[in-house]
Amino acid sequence: MNENNIDYKTAWVLIQKVFPILDDNTNINHLDGTATKNEFYEVTDVVVKLNISKLIQDFIIDKIEYRFRKEIAPEFWSYFGHKIDQNSTELKGFNQFYDAVNSLYHGYQYMARIVAKLDLFRQATQIGDFVYNESDTQSALQLICKSTLLFHLNLDYQSVIMNFYETALKIEDTDEINTEGQCFNCLHETQQCNCMYLFKETNRKLGELCLLEPLCGQTITNLIYNYIYSHIQKLCKDSFDSQFIGLLEKWLQEVAIKWLKTVYCFEPTNSFEKTLEILNIKLTNFLNNSYTKIRIEQLFNIIIEYPESLPALEDLKLCLPRTDLKPYLTKTLQRAMETRLLHPGVSTPDVLTAYVATIRSLRVLDPTGLLLETVTCPVHKYLRSREDTVRCVVSSLTEEGPNDLAEELVRGEAIRIDENTTMNEDEENWETWVPDPVDVVSTKPTGTRRTSDIISMLVNVYGSKELFVNEYRTILADRLLTQYTCDTEKEIRYLELLKLRFGDSHLHYCEVMLKDIADSKRINQNIKQDSEYSENEIPMSTMIVSSQFWPPFKEEKLMVHSKLKDQIEIYTTAFEKLKGSRTLCWKYHLGIVDLELKLADRSLNFSVSPIQATIIMHFQDKNVWELEELSKIMQCPATILRKKIGFWQSHGVIVEKQQDIFSIQEGLQPNENNIQEDLFVEDYESESAMASAQDQREEELQTFWSYIVGMLMNLETLPLDRIHQMLKMFAFQGPTLECSLQELKVFLDRKVREHQLIFSGGYYTLPK
Amino acid sequence: MAQNVNPFLEQQSSSNKQSDDSRKLQNDNHAVTKRLHKELMNLMMSQDKSISAFPEGENLFKWIGTISGPKDTVYEALKFKLSFLFPHSYPYTAPTVKFITPCFHPNVDTNGNICLDILKDKWSALYDVRTILLSIQGLLAEPNNDSPLNSLAAEKWTDQDAFKKLVLEIYKE
Repeated sequence: MNENNIDYKTAWVLIQKVFPILDDNTNINHLDGTATKNEFYEVTDVVVKLNISKLIQDFIIDKIEYRFRKEIAPEFWSYFGHKIDQNSTELKGFNQFYDAVNSLYHGYQYMARIVAKLDLFRQATQIGDFVYNESDTQSALQLICKSTLLFHLNLDYQSVIMNFYETALKIEDTDEINTEGQCFNCLHETQQCNCMYLFKETNRKLGELCLLEPLCGQTITNLIYNYIYSHIQKLCKDSFDSQFIGLLEKWLQEVAIKWLKTVYCFEPTNSFEKTLEILNIKLTNFLNNSYTKIRIEQLFNIIIEYPESLPALEDLKLCLPRTDLKPYLTKTLQRAMETRLLHPGVSTPDVLTAYVATIRSLRVLDPTGLLLETVTCPVHKYLRSREDTVRCVVSSLTEEGPNDLAEELVRGEAIRIDENTTMNEDEENWETWVPDPVDVVSTKPTGTRRTSDIISMLVNVYGSKELFVNEYRTILADRLLTQYTCDTEKEIRYLELLKLRFGDSHLHYCEVMLKDIADSKRINQNIKQDSEYSENEIPMSTMIVSSQFWPPFKEEKLMVHSKLKDQIEIYTTAFEKLKGSRTLCWKYHLGIVDLELKLADRSLNFSVSPIQATIIMHFQDKNVWELEELSKIMQCPATILRKKIGFWQSHGVIVEKQQDIFSIQEGLQPNENNIQEDLFVEDYESESAMASAQDQREEELQTFWSYIVGMLMNLETLPLDRIHQMLKMFAFQGPTLECSLQELKVFLDRKVREHQLIFSGGYYTLPK
Repeated sequence: MAQNVNPFLEQQSSSNKQSDDSRKLQNDNHAVTKRLHKELMNLMMSQDKSISAFPEGENLFKWIGTISGPKDTVYEALKFKLSFLFPHSYPYTAPTVKFITPCFHPNVDTNGNICLDILKDKWSALYDVRTILLSIQGLLAEPNNDSPLNSLAAEKWTDQDAFKKLVLEIYKE
């Protein structure tokens, strides 16, 4: 009965000899034990006999876990514990981690040998079940190692690991190579540098322990993200003139992924490929995202630099569908516009230029125009609030020289103000129809046709052609009257272009205006050929404009010199004879007079306004004038007159002898010669001859007011929309008269404040 | 028989006939509308605040007018509303004018009908809303007691104080 004779004590000693780990006091270096093969089999025999093989195995595993917990893990983490010295951060961080991994690896090696022996033991004692459900004991060991380490996770570990990989990345990064051929980390010559070996060794060991991904994966990913991000920023900071996305993708594969390969190459092959594949997808996505984001943040600048920045826009267009950053784009761009464009410090032409650039750029990004509509909504609102917008648009439309809007006009097609009309052309192209992008929040119902024609969009800012046509009329009138030339060819060309866009009917008035100019020329010739018409010393030609069609003039009182007055009367009679029932109503203050002044010692040539000419003509009759007296004769306020005399003073023709007494200066005193030059005042007033838009509007509103009083007097009380409707039906008749509901409300509110109207319960009433 | 005809075509042809007639009417109407628009504009632009008139609603052929009672008469400080109904043959036919505000007056009956020669046989196309309003204003000051519509008023006219009482009794805004 051998079985009964087992000496438990000696058996236990034997088992401990075979598995020294069972004794807690054994030094980690002696864990391999000194047992021979025979002893090993003796142990297995005994264990099998006693049927405690499972017990022993569990005991051993337990002890392995204990060692990990008590010795290996604490030692590993102890490398992370002490604070890294500020001065040599990189060096320590790098070596720290290497040492830590090294010690862990050694510890693990011991355990692995025990586990190997355990495997033999398992074979000999035929233990069937698995440890921790793992297929083999080695992976069970890895599991134990991983879980124990992560259980003890150190707070600083990520910064250490980050340091390690960052340093390694910097060593490899060709851009950062030290010019003296030194290793960035250890400051040795590149040839003698050991860092790359250390780096590889660390990765290999971690790979072997299956700890690379669990322990460092997150850190490496973060690191590479930062690396990619800073690379993109470095590459495309403020340069919009070439496409980068292809370059970046190539770089990602050639640099970033390649480096990751050197890190992950020690993983077991199947998981290596899988990891790389996932990383590849992740990084490509990140690259696209970051690049798009950076571009979106620069979008305002990109837009301003259009068309030079077209490559950047193309990039963005390419990347945008790969990301879901469209809402971000809308928001960022809107914010950028608001902070950089839509404030009082920016002049209206600049806003318009930016707006045009926006339209063009966004047309590249999103041909459907939905994005454009959303982004430019605040710009519309803002432009509407600026008084000189229309004027700026119209003047730049018809300006000379290179100009975005003028180009657009020439390019143009008819404006479609009414956005709700469905175009037949849409139906024809039904096969190529694409739905609106869904990721842009649109306030407008789908199905409306969006236009990206720049002029239409600008006109749409106001929603009415009339306003534009009116402004154009005023500008045209101004130009025609300040130039006093009969060369209208250019203007006719513009008018034709505008007609294409705005339609004939709206521009009929302007057409008449241009015709007036041509007619004036003809009538002038006719009258001069008339035998009864004679010209005294003042030759004159007139500009005859039809008061019905021209915008109202600014009224200014002026009585011209009697000589001129006589001439004008002769002309009027001649005109009346020519035209039968019509007569002329003169605007004395408008026009241009060519003068040649002959003074005692000099003669001067001038081209001046009628009022200035009149002044000098009066001085021809009498050398000295009192301001008051002259003002009475010319029917012109003294203050204005004084200003106008200033022009002659600056030319040294008139001097102010005493307060308010002016006299002609026939001869220049020699010493005054220079002073006069300094005194020269530029009197070319750029003032418009037309009544200002605001004055005109005020007049129109006054007309409306009469109607409103009329309707309220008879119909007692009316709500706002009824008043508006009534005005629309009965009062808006000219081509120019119009008033939006909003404007009407503002106007009526003003009347309420002025106590000319009572508002209660949504109804307006006249006060009793 | 009718079954074989395209109903759409038939509809069209009949509507064509109709539109011929209506077009003529429209042309006439256009001239009337233009004239009424013009009258309205003149009226709105005039500075006379004692008379006024305005279309009642969308229909340009129906107006409401307002006159203030003439000074130094029993009607002083009162306001009278009148209704205007313009025929399509306006201005060759006089508009129908009635008092909306009850008015105690020898030439105005209890339904507001007015007996005024220029609205009847003396009408001329040269008259317009403004002249009608002025004439009625004048009529208030100087009634024609020879052809009264309201005989009680004609009787009482001589006693102005009693007359004024009756005017105020009937008058309501």
